[in-house]
Order: sequence, then C-alpha cells, then structure tokens
Amino acid sequence: MTDTPIITITGLKFAYGDILALDGVTAEIPAGRIGLVGANGAGKTTLLKLLLGVLEPAAGTIKVFDHAVPRDTLQVRSRVGWMPESDCLPPDQTAADFLGYAAELGGLPVRAARQRASDILGLVGLHEERFRYMGEFSTGMKQRAKLAQAIVHDPDLVLLDEPTAGLDPEGRAEMLDLVRRLDEFGINAIISSHVLTDIEYTCDWVVMLDGGKVLRSGPLTDLSTPDVAELEVIGDVAAVAAGAVSRGAAVEVDGAVLTISAPDGDPFLIARDAVLDAGAAFRRLGAQRTTLEDVFMSGEPTDG
Amino acid sequence: MVEGVVFDLGYQPHDGPRLGRSGARRALIKDGLRRVLGLRRKARKKILPATLMAIAVIPALFFTAFGVIAGEFDAAAELFDHENYFNLNGSMALIFVALAASELLIPDRINGTMAVYASRPLTTPDYVMGRAGSLAIVVFGFLWIPHLVLFLGRAWVGSSGFGTYVVDNAAILWKTAVVSVVYFAAYTSIAFLVAAFSKRTAVAAGVFLGIVMLSGLTEALVDAGFSVFGLGAVLDHPGYVKDWILGTNTDTWIPETAGIEPIMSLLVIVTLSIAAGLIVTGRYRRAA
Repeated sequence: MTDTPIITITGLKFAYGDILALDGVTAEIPAGRIGLVGANGAGKTTLLKLLLGVLEPAAGTIKVFDHAVPRDTLQVRSRVGWMPESDCLPPDQTAADFLGYAAELGGLPVRAARQRASDILGLVGLHEERFRYMGEFSTGMKQRAKLAQAIVHDPDLVLLDEPTAGLDPEGRAEMLDLVRRLDEFGINAIISSHVLTDIEYTCDWVVMLDGGKVLRSGPLTDLSTPDVAELEVIGDVAAVAAGAVSRGAAVEVDGAVLTISAPDGDPFLIARDAVLDAGAAFRRLGAQRTTLEDVFMSGEPTDG
Repeated sequence: MVEGVVFDLGYQPHDGPRLGRSGARRALIKDGLRRVLGLRRKARKKILPATLMAIAVIPALFFTAFGVIAGEFDAAAELFDHENYFNLNGSMALIFVALAASELLIPDRINGTMAVYASRPLTTPDYVMGRAGSLAIVVFGFLWIPHLVLFLGRAWVGSSGFGTYVVDNAAILWKTAVVSVVYFAAYTSIAFLVAAFSKRTAVAAGVFLGIVMLSGLTEALVDAGFSVFGLGAVLDHPGYVKDWILGTNTDTWIPETAGIEPIMSLLVIVTLSIAAGLIVTGRYRRAA
C-alpha cells in the first residue's frame, strides 16, 4: 500500500429526494485494501455508485485515478470492477460464458477474454463449475462468481459491496481470504461492509461513514496503541495491579484484564515485573487495540 | 520419457490491448444476438426462434424449389411475390419481436445484471442501442433474407436469364431492405417500451401483442368518422408504408381509410422509435 491517493473526494453531497444520503463527504483514499464501513443506510453503496458515475453528485467533486467523475466516467469504468451486493448473475448462462462476456465488456479482446474467464474462475475456486448454469449455483458460489466478474477484466480497482453477505462461516472465511489475495493480484479494493471484523481482517485503511458523514478515515494500524499494554492475568489481579501502580503506571482494571500505561516507562516491562512480583501468570500481553467497533460506537469524528 | 512440470502461474495481469468502449459495444451486440437466438442457452430457448425463422424462410425456399421443378416459376411467383411475402413474415416478425424484445431487456434488469454494465465502459444509451442493434440484425435478416432467397430463386429459373433478371429487378432488393427496417422500427419501439416496464418476459410479450392487436379497433373509430385515430393503427402503419415503397396495394390499411398519407405513417413510426428510445434509456439509467 502507498499513501498516494487513488481517490480524492471533496465536499460530496447526494440526496434521494428529501433524504440526504451523503452530506459533505471529504476523504483521500490511498491504494491498497480500503474498508468502507457504516451501519445500514450510512451511505456506503451510494458512495460506491457515485465513484462509478452511476449516480451524479448534488455537490462536491470526485477524482478516481485522476479522472473526474462523472465527467470521465468511461475512463474510470475501464479501470474499475464492481461486485454489487445484490444478485447480478444471469441464471441461464454458464459461468464461463458470462465471465467471458464480462471480460469483453471490460474491453478485452475475445481470445484474451476467454482465457481470463477460465483463469479467474480457477482463482476463485469455480473451475469445476465453469460450465454449469449460474442459476444452479449456491449462495457461496454466486458470491465467488460475482467477485470473478468484478476482476475478470483486470481492473486497477474493485469495489466490493458487502462481499460476505449471506455466506455461512466457511464461505465467509474463504471469501475474505480471496479479498485479501487481491493485493497479490495488484488490484486495489474498496470493501464496503457493516461487519467490522471483516474489515479488520481484510483491510489496511478504513473509511467510516455514519449518517452520510465521514466519521474516520485512516490506516487500521492507528487503531492499536503501542504505548499502552493490555494484560489478561491468571491469578491475583489486584496484586498485579498494585505492583504496576507502585512502579508509576496508571492501571485500569476490567475483570482479569489490566490496561497499563506508563508515561515515564515501558508499560510492558512494568507488566512483566508486576506479574512476577505477584506470583501470577498471564494469558496474553500485547498493545492495547481499539477495535473498529470501539471507534464506531464512540462516534467521535477523527481523520487519519 | 518426457517429464512434465505443472507451474501454478497464479494471477496473470492482462498486458494485451484493451478495446474500450467500441469493444464493449461489440460484445453487447454479440451477446444480444446469442440471447435472441437462444445460442449458448438451454435447448428450449432455441426452439421458438428456430421455428419462427423456419416458417419465415421455408415459403421462399418452397416457391423457389417449386419453380425449379415445375419450370414455371413465374406462375408460382404470382402466388407469392415480394409484396405479399411481407404479410406472412411481417406477422412472424411481430411474434418474434414480442419474444425477443422482452428476452433482451427484462432479464438484465430483473437479474441485476445492469450493475455489471454500470462497471464497464458503456453508457446507458450504448446499452439500449446495443440491444436494439442485436434485434435489428436478427429481425432484418428474418424479414429480408426470404426476399433475397425469392429474388435469387426467380433469377435462377426466370426465362430472361439470371443476369438480366438481376439487373432488371435489383431495385426490389433495396426496397425490401428499407421495408424490413420500417417493420423492425414500428414493432420494436412498442415492444421495447413494454419490456422496459415489465418484470416477466411472457407477460411483456402478451401485453405487446395485445396492444398491437387492439390497435385494430381504431378501424371502427375511423369508420365512425374519427380519422385521427388512424394514427394509432400501429399494426397497419408498416404495411401501409410497405405498399407505398413497393408501389403496390396489397390491402386496405386503416391509415389509408383515414385519409392519412403514407409519409405520415412513416413519421408516426419514426416519432414512436425516438420516443421509445428516450423513455427506455431513462428507465434503464435508473435501473443500474
């Protein structure tokens, strides 16, 4: 991932009639795997449609790969793939035929399109099913086929709208692994989801939307706090906490979990020494990590 | 013995040419042709187009064969000439357009495939024109190829010789081609309008045929003195224009009874086509 923005959005507004879906969204989105999170109705899908030029903004500007949208929509669409949340597969076509067609629609010559269709179906694990009509596919297979059509024309950016919707745990894990692999393929991805753990697993940058506004835009690494230690104690929690406090640390206790911060020292060394002195043990010790859920629930706008 | 090694090449980016919008348009038309003809679809999707095609072409082949065998092709031709042939395959085209228009437009909207088009270098007018282009190719072939067969058959068995017949009668080829386009435009504009607002292909086909058939009721209104209703006789406009272009009079058309000039009928067809194109484009822009 680089910090050079591939998408620049400034003061973006869009409304469905009287309902304001996006209210002055401003963000710079770098290359890599980007999470777009927010509750249902937060404006995620609307933002994706605006990036594709399917919808026209009421105000504001969008630049994707330095092309202004909607003015240069076709140039943008030549470099972008979209996996919509809803179904998009014709049930009376085989996966191979449809993927070949989708690749040709993306501008690939016929022979290359057929070859890419076969290759991509293999990559998403549908090689054996390539000559089956897609109407006979399970939900998991349909999601894979949807992802395949989004990348079959080798785009530079793919927009994935709720890629794990409707999948069972196994299917979800497989889809998330596929999404993580997009990085190896050299394809940037914007993954829209309201499942925060999916975003934490797959993305390295996150844009949080709430009520049509950007709540947070920044790297996921910012969510961990390296100068605060989080310790889960096995044994006398109070004694470990007291030991840490006596070494000048500030301690928060939540059950068996201690959060230790030390402005003038290393909280990890203090945690180690306090555990040793108390004759206790610990189940885990690491940097305090704020989950996306914590940030989202706090509702405080930040910008990374 | 040669030992084989399998390499997992992983993801291979496309380094070759990209055809952009023109490639996308070509792909769209090709897909439309396959869809209309049921190619690369289940067998049942092929039955109806193949049957209608056969019904449209077989009479031309029959009269050609009849002429060859009997050696009296001119007598056979009088039974079934270019003018009357449109009355047969025009009806076949009506049914074909009813089914093909809904098959072209409805599944993309109902199955959500418009989202795929929205992420490709295509505009909504490209989409609508592409779909209409696919149907135009097939319907034109459907209407005009029998005329070509009939023309070549006549030239083959004609007493004046092949070359002389072709030279003397070449005008009928472009005239029948123009008439084929008129039939296509008249039927497809209404069929596309109906399909753009329907959810089921069979219902759309039925509604389209119903509208076209009901337009025959305008005859009663015209007979009652309301001539303006002759403009609504959508089923008769192409036939009336056909007789005008071919210089024949094969039937009494409702617009003719209403005192409407053939050019006016042609204008109705053109206006309907433009209006349908705009409405369908607006509808599909929202569907993406």
